[in-house]
Amino acid sequence: MTPTKTATGAGTSRRVVTTRSARASAHIGRHAQTIAIAAVLVVLLIFFAFSADRFATTGNIFNLLRQIAPTLVVATAMTFVISTSGIDLSVGSTVALSGSLLAIVLQHGWNPTLALVAILALGALIGFVNGWFSSYQNIPPFIVTLAMLSIMRGTALRATEGYSTPIDGDLWIVQIGQGRIAGVPVPAILAVIIALVGWLVLTRTPFGRYVIGLGSNGESLRRAGVNTRKVGLTVYVLTGLAAAVAGVLIATRLSSGSSNAGSGFELEVITAVVLGGTSLFGGRASMLGTILGALTLGVIANGLVLLHVSPFYVQIVQGGILLLAIFANSKVWAKFGAIRK
Amino acid sequence: MTDQEAGRADRVVMRDIRKRYGMVDALRGVTLRVGPGEVVGLVGDNAAGKSTLMKVLAGAVVPDSGEIVFDGRPVAFASPKDARELGIEMVYQDLALCDDIDVAGNLFLGREPRRAGGMMLDVRRMHADARRHLDALNIRIPLTDIPVGGLSGGQRQAVAIARAVTFGPKLLILDEPTAALAVAEVETVLELIKTVSAQDVSVILITHRLQDLFRVCDRLCVMYEGTLRADLDARSTSLERLVSEIVAHDEEDKEGRRR
Repeated sequence: MTPTKTATGAGTSRRVVTTRSARASAHIGRHAQTIAIAAVLVVLLIFFAFSADRFATTGNIFNLLRQIAPTLVVATAMTFVISTSGIDLSVGSTVALSGSLLAIVLQHGWNPTLALVAILALGALIGFVNGWFSSYQNIPPFIVTLAMLSIMRGTALRATEGYSTPIDGDLWIVQIGQGRIAGVPVPAILAVIIALVGWLVLTRTPFGRYVIGLGSNGESLRRAGVNTRKVGLTVYVLTGLAAAVAGVLIATRLSSGSSNAGSGFELEVITAVVLGGTSLFGGRASMLGTILGALTLGVIANGLVLLHVSPFYVQIVQGGILLLAIFANSKVWAKFGAIRK
Repeated sequence: MTDQEAGRADRVVMRDIRKRYGMVDALRGVTLRVGPGEVVGLVGDNAAGKSTLMKVLAGAVVPDSGEIVFDGRPVAFASPKDARELGIEMVYQDLALCDDIDVAGNLFLGREPRRAGGMMLDVRRMHADARRHLDALNIRIPLTDIPVGGLSGGQRQAVAIARAVTFGPKLLILDEPTAALAVAEVETVLELIKTVSAQDVSVILITHRLQDLFRVCDRLCVMYEGTLRADLDARSTSLERLVSEIVAHDEEDKEGRRR
């Protein structure tokens, strides 16, 4: 606070300079983990490109994209949930249930289009139940979705009696998992489109803004006149819907619906989101980070298999990288002075 | 003057407002009226119920009973949105900002400018308008695209105040708006209160800076343990009288207990 006009002007410009540098460092701090995971991904890509013969081929890259498509689809939706400081553990079970039911209703002679719509609606309904309990009844989403994990897996096992149900390869719906457009697998195209739409919604729409606000300070958002419960419910509908899409992708790729599909899937999805720099405490999200996180997990799994390393090591390496990433996030990058949670 | 006549002349009348939190009687039947363009200072010790009463008026707390009449019409607020739509804006004591969202985003939180048929945020217009609004209020925050979590306490408070006054309120509630401000910034806020009240905006000011109250307020309402105990004319009341109303208005009572 300076009394004269000239001094005020100088003070402001000096403040602009310091604030610009503060903004730059805050910016780096907020995106530090996204940058870190991008670096890890590049290192992994170079490593596997040189050590595994068939890694850097178009065929393998497409194969990799098709493999991670379900993870990427659900991770996109999970980024919204985690941004609100929520969690959805039920997505793996929803994958199993939607895949199993899809195969069963097709076997009963349902029209594939109708079956697809019904399965997606079921996924959204499961998400609605999750969202209603956690957002409207204020039950911790960890508990709600843990219960739903159990209920949905049980329902899938009951519906299939534990057997896999084959899907007729002549139906058009199989193309969702197995088809290619101009050589690119359909699941990869779908996943990329969904991730891009997710990025657009998160960063450019009022809904995306409210999702961040809800995770940052829900009470402030409520006092700003936003219907926070509706926002909180909607994100779970998104994960439920995305999990149903993933279930359809997996079942049609394998031409079979299995009640054992997607076990541990929820943890893979959450790993991808957290690797990308989205804060488990909410308020900070990076959709680009989520995409990079999902790619990193896929590259590790794919590359290690090509190197003929025992597949059991895949999970060890993925877990190790997660731990390292979080460690780096909380210790190494903290010096950038960004808001820490 | 009958109740109905009063209702027509007043900007807002809160009548017999009660709110209970479990064992705590936060508000025990408070009646408060504010005229158009009037500046009312709401004072009282900590936990007197000032903030709760104002949250009721802003729609952030739903009272157990009591009625609110706004511009002559009975209203009931289910959420802050209802109050906002009528033109009631509040600066909360905790500022109610989202630390991870940038300055412009917080300024427009809940009423973002949109484009593409309301689907998308108009981010560019948001930053341009935010710049304009902040400059109009003499608030010096050089960049509107930094998260408010990175601002100083004074700047954060300024953002909260700017958010409340920018959108043409009819009733402005300020809960400790100057607590984190520097001396010159406090002057700006006091000037602002005078300016908006001259434009017929009603203002309710909660503050512990009693000297400020006498500079801007028309009336002073003193709350004590969930009730409104005194309604004083600011021009004819002395600081000593006000202080005694806040802390020791039931002197005889206390004397009696002491003996």
